[in-house]
Amino acid sequence: MSIQLSKEKIDEAILTIIANGGEGILQCVQCGACSAVCPGVRAGFPVLCRLLIKKLQEGQLEEIIEETSTWGCQACNRCTEVCPQGVRPLEVVFAFRRYQAKELAISTSSTLVQMTLYERGHAVFTDAQALRESVGLPGKAPTSAYDEKAQKEIQTLMDNSPMSELGLF
Amino acid sequence: MAKVGVYVCHCGSNIAGVIDVEAVRALAETLPDVTSAQSDLFMCSNSGQEMIKQDIQDGKVDRVVVAACTPRTHEPIFRNTCEAAGLNKYFFEMANIRDQSSWVHQHDPFGATEKAKLVVASAVGKAARLKPLEDKFVDVTKAAMVIGGGVAGIFSALELANLGYKTYLVEKEPSIGGIMAMLDKTFPTNDCSACILTPLMVDVGNHPNIELMTYSEVIDVDGYIGNFKVKVKKKQSYVDWNRCTGCAACSEVCPGRTSDVFNQGMSQRSATYIHFPQAVPKKAVIDMDACISCSGRRVGTAPTIDHKTGFPILAPCENACPSGAINLSINYDPFGEVVEVAVGTIIAATGYKVMEKDAFKEMAPSSPNVITALQLERIISATGPTGGQLLRPSDNTRPKTINFLSCMGSRDVRHHTYCSRICCMYMVKQARLIKEKYPDINIFIHFIDVRTAGKGYDEYYTGARRMGIHILKGKVGGIQKVGDETLRVLAYDMESQENIEIESDLVVLATAIELPESTKTLAQTLGLQFDGSGFFRELHPKLGPVETSTQGIFLAGCCQGPKDIPDTVSQAKAAAAAAAIPLAQGHVRIAPTISEIHPEKCSGCGICVPLCPYFAITLKTWGDRPRAEIDITQCKGCGVCTATCPSGAIVLHGFEEEQIMAQIEALTR
Repeated sequence: MSIQLSKEKIDEAILTIIANGGEGILQCVQCGACSAVCPGVRAGFPVLCRLLIKKLQEGQLEEIIEETSTWGCQACNRCTEVCPQGVRPLEVVFAFRRYQAKELAISTSSTLVQMTLYERGHAVFTDAQALRESVGLPGKAPTSAYDEKAQKEIQTLMDNSPMSELGLF
Repeated sequence: MAKVGVYVCHCGSNIAGVIDVEAVRALAETLPDVTSAQSDLFMCSNSGQEMIKQDIQDGKVDRVVVAACTPRTHEPIFRNTCEAAGLNKYFFEMANIRDQSSWVHQHDPFGATEKAKLVVASAVGKAARLKPLEDKFVDVTKAAMVIGGGVAGIFSALELANLGYKTYLVEKEPSIGGIMAMLDKTFPTNDCSACILTPLMVDVGNHPNIELMTYSEVIDVDGYIGNFKVKVKKKQSYVDWNRCTGCAACSEVCPGRTSDVFNQGMSQRSATYIHFPQAVPKKAVIDMDACISCSGRRVGTAPTIDHKTGFPILAPCENACPSGAINLSINYDPFGEVVEVAVGTIIAATGYKVMEKDAFKEMAPSSPNVITALQLERIISATGPTGGQLLRPSDNTRPKTINFLSCMGSRDVRHHTYCSRICCMYMVKQARLIKEKYPDINIFIHFIDVRTAGKGYDEYYTGARRMGIHILKGKVGGIQKVGDETLRVLAYDMESQENIEIESDLVVLATAIELPESTKTLAQTLGLQFDGSGFFRELHPKLGPVETSTQGIFLAGCCQGPKDIPDTVSQAKAAAAAAAIPLAQGHVRIAPTISEIHPEKCSGCGICVPLCPYFAITLKTWGDRPRAEIDITQCKGCGVCTATCPSGAIVLHGFEEEQIMAQIEALTR
């Protein structure tokens, strides 16, 4: 199936990304250096960096709203480091993610981490009490994972954010 | 009473698309002194010019105002029209209603029309008070100088010399040849670079009209078109070039070692050296930074006398020289020998340098197996460090996989935004040369996009694909070092939309070409400007590609912007033709629209002297007291002196007080 390019759709996609903090999208010349170093692309999330920008430049905002690749971005920022045109691709990826979140199109791949964040105060949590004690550290690290007051604060923040509408927690 | 003719141009839709030309013409008709007001679709066309000529010849007008585009391009055309009709050409005045009205106010046609009327009225006010002026001429020194002895300088010098003009060719290295002499072969015909360049270098060396000044630098330029005085510093070489035969006996015995610049640092050379085997002139020089004073005597001191033999104890190089050309007893002179040369025109052909790999931190620059394309050029060259064998630098073995990375520093906002133009082609060339010689080597070329726009270039590129060279679309993001010697290239294939990792033995960076830092001082000396890319700015990007804003100074080759050899040669020949014009004419015209001092009014206060930006004014005693005097060859007609003179003794011809006042009056009516 071919896509139909239209000025309205392209403008809408570009302006949405710019409004969400991805101003660099206009600078991209599609060289692919960002994707060459992207650990997310290497891990099998194809629509990241170059291809994501390409699709957005073609106005495919709604078509890829369910795309899960964007949630594979680890925010390592190597793309920004190697980009020869000053695009800051990470910001475009995050701008698209913000758009997805606002439209409640959050990938199932990221729901678990949100639930963990809500419950434990950590997006990714592993219990390292024994390991910490074996090297002479106090078992409970001074983080929100062992601090009910901090967890409560995080829950309040999340309850009052648009994320609560997802009904995950 | 002046009879002013006003001619309003439509300039197609450039002016008429915004401005009501008829309204402007009608207004002109009502202005004082105007005897004819007409309009035409294109005033610069034959019919438009004929209209002016007819009015002049009919005696209807004796001052001409054309309301049209810019005087920068069109004033000379209309002045010639007036002259052809028998009118003094300085009775012409231009009203720029395109740049100043229709272009800047295109969203306000009414306002633009009103402004155009004012601009025309002001031009009419001035035109009615114009006075006849005569062009002045000064004689020209019939000699030229070419700065830079690369392929551009060589061709410029040869053309000028063949036209019969004495030409000085100044080169900072000991030999001419430039970067082309370092290349192995040239695209798209795979000619051996040295084989096509060396005969020309020899021609330059033998040409009766060319005076070669190698190992020399231009340090000062004084004067103006037709009469430049150039100071050239000959660097101290400690070798008498009149005696040196280029036998290289001295460099064979010299124990001093330094990185060989000609081999791009891929090998060592001795401190006493000959630039390269085919050097012209083939003369030795001693690089004092690398000289280790191996004879135990400080350079610049006389040798000690051996008390047994009674002979002086000389350094090995002095001893080895069969013609006694080397003399280390000469004192080091940081100023070198300075000679002054008088020339009429100058061509700057100072060339370029390639970016070093150190600028690209993500490309593992610390690895010896990551090299620049110019370094690879030396490796595959028969006169290079490996005698033409393709061996990778780390362990001198033949690489099995080679990756070429394009756009290193070009098209990159962190370095240079421009395209360096030759990298695509030289990568394809090197890949083809390697593939022809060693078909088993795996070659990958990574492009953002392939730019092979030149005669025979695309065929050369498609040929590379047919030879089995892998060409991948997608910029390489980085290189990882695997162990000590292998490299992992992190690439991306845009067609399959997937990441690619290639284990590579040798990585070649196609680095950008840029203007060398050392050229910046020369630009100041010559009064040249830089463009946005950092190269020398030409007079006009399309219509003045070899001229500069400094009259009499021309550009050739990569100092004006990246270009390949065919383009460089074309431009070099063009620059020579342009530089020969003043020499052939024998005199240069000086526009009379410059300042003149009326000595009877001058009080000799000297205020104008330091204010003149062109150092054209001096105080000379004249009669009983000092008075200002203007050198007409230096004056550019800027008017600073006129505005400053408290006695009103300075007149700027073509911009006299009465004329300017009439303009102001018209504009403020």
